[in-house]
Amino acid sequence: MSACVWCGRQLQATLTLAQIWRFAPIAQATVCDTCQHRFAAITSQHCPACGRQQIDETVCLDCQRWSGRPLTNHAVYVYDVAMKAYMQQYKFQGDYALRVLMQAPLAAALQRETYDVLVPIPVDQTTWRTRGFNQVTGWLRNQPFQQALLVRATHKERPQSAKARADRLRTPQPFTLAPNASQILHGQRVLLLDDVYTTGRTLRHAADQIYLGGAKAVTSLTLAR
Amino acid sequence: MQNDEDFFGRQLPLRGAPANGAVGQRALRTVGERRQCQRCGQWLAVTDRLANGDWYCRQCLQLGRLTSQHELYTIPEPNRFARVKSGGLTWTGQLSAQQDVAAQAVLRHVKTRTDHLLWAVTGAGKTEIVYPALAWALAQGWRVAWTSPRVDVCLELAPRLRQAFGGVAQALLYGGQADPYAYCPLTICTTHQLLRFKAAFDLIVVDEVDAFPLATSPMLQRAIANAQKPQGCHLLLTATPGNDLQQQVRRHQLAVTYVPLRYHGHLLPQIDLRLAWRWREGLLRNRLPSALIHQLRGYLAKHQRFLLFVPHVVDLPVISQALQLAGIQGGVTVHAADPDRPTKVQAMRDETIPFLITTTILERGVTFPNIAVVILGGDDPVFSTAALVQIAGRVGRSADFPSGQVTCYCHSHTKRVRLARGMIAHLNLQGRRQGGRP
Repeated sequence: MSACVWCGRQLQATLTLAQIWRFAPIAQATVCDTCQHRFAAITSQHCPACGRQQIDETVCLDCQRWSGRPLTNHAVYVYDVAMKAYMQQYKFQGDYALRVLMQAPLAAALQRETYDVLVPIPVDQTTWRTRGFNQVTGWLRNQPFQQALLVRATHKERPQSAKARADRLRTPQPFTLAPNASQILHGQRVLLLDDVYTTGRTLRHAADQIYLGGAKAVTSLTLAR
Repeated sequence: MQNDEDFFGRQLPLRGAPANGAVGQRALRTVGERRQCQRCGQWLAVTDRLANGDWYCRQCLQLGRLTSQHELYTIPEPNRFARVKSGGLTWTGQLSAQQDVAAQAVLRHVKTRTDHLLWAVTGAGKTEIVYPALAWALAQGWRVAWTSPRVDVCLELAPRLRQAFGGVAQALLYGGQADPYAYCPLTICTTHQLLRFKAAFDLIVVDEVDAFPLATSPMLQRAIANAQKPQGCHLLLTATPGNDLQQQVRRHQLAVTYVPLRYHGHLLPQIDLRLAWRWREGLLRNRLPSALIHQLRGYLAKHQRFLLFVPHVVDLPVISQALQLAGIQGGVTVHAADPDRPTKVQAMRDETIPFLITTTILERGVTFPNIAVVILGGDDPVFSTAALVQIAGRVGRSADFPSGQVTCYCHSHTKRVRLARGMIAHLNLQGRRQGGRP
């Protein structure tokens, strides 16, 4: 008997006859059904550019305002109250155990994407030391990925999540390419992976650097939009 | 920058030593292969590990994460308070004769620093009984905590204590508070907040000691023991002590003072038990026990307002609909996650609605004058013995209407119901000896 990692309620394990006869290890659930269904999955009616949930399938106003090379983003869940609560506990309070909640949905979403190289958005040195993990790579189970990006050493005075839209859009390029990046990226289709797409600023900065590294195409996947 | 005062009797997590003379210890202590969190005392699971190899405690995460990089800093409590005459008591009310006897007993135990249980029935005026002892403790320059597992109890208590003890600085601590921490002789806080303290308090008053989640949480029970000075003592307040407390009383390990009578001197209403055989199956066909319908119709006809307690949140809409069909209309449903709970309870107080259908959320802390209580499915496991006694205690709280009816409809006669009736009978027996009137 184990408890749900998020709500702490006891999980009722049901053992079927088939499971007994298979003599194989039984996969133990770590999340209760209620917690797993708390989040709203994005349906097929979303913005084709940024993946935002909407009532039609036209490019949304925010995406029309972007100039330069277009970036196609897909997102798994709506960034609603439940998702904010999850991010608060996982990312900002640093409850690394909550990563298991998103591993299965993200693995399914990665299956639907076409790409050669998976590049998660990195965290800077200070965050790595204080938070102790990269929230994006925590959601990956065994999928291979490449750390082709590095964060510049310049210290952030404020986190992205504490800024207003106009401030966020003015953020300078925070990423550089890793020393061996051009070998990894040359002629490849790259998929960037991040936690939340809010204005798209971070992902576009990252995409610019990946293109500089010689990638053929760059798309992105985020957990929430 | 943090002051010395912030460290007095507390354990604050830091990553480097502070400038003052605070002494630190590792936040996570390794014992063999296992790790123990020094703030909450719980053992870490082998999976509670970060990607960079550090360990972290999941049990007290809500108070800010502790990792193996942290140290807990503390300065031993110096009791650096200005002495106030008569403990800053500005309360001018009068205790009744019975309350005064209990108050003197509590004061005697506090003076000798012995742990003590004040077992006072619902509506006995527990808070006021503690005032003399609290005033004495504060006059001695003691540091005192008044704590409860329920945040609404703390929020309701804080203004009362501020009024009663106008001469003493007070701090109110709970999760999500707006004011910063202040070093005060009197601290009102939730039991979770005690995790931040270490050997700080000479006296800890634990209000509603049997309430969720304190009764079932070893972490919080340890927090109380840890926040108390080694030579300090605690005073437990409850109307319905759990089995372990009652056992400690029987074994004379814990001193006890009974207040079996309410402040108006009347006995507790006994739970009236009625059989409602297979009522759940009837409910599937939108039918309620006919005895219940008959009783509630009678209440409506007499304009007697009542509370109907049901076991689960999912039962609320079904039962509400069944009542509508039976012609019992005008009631409102309330549960814990209901955003309109305060307004609905207020509407009931203002007598604008005739009845509330509710779950155990209203078992404590609410007072309506002249109310009747009906419990449907009192044999359900959600109604613990304590919950049933507390629910019965909603009736007859005001001096103008000191009696009322408590009816419990059950499918079966369970041990919990029997024990609840037994506890009320036991208290009433003691009350009668003290001259209680039914």
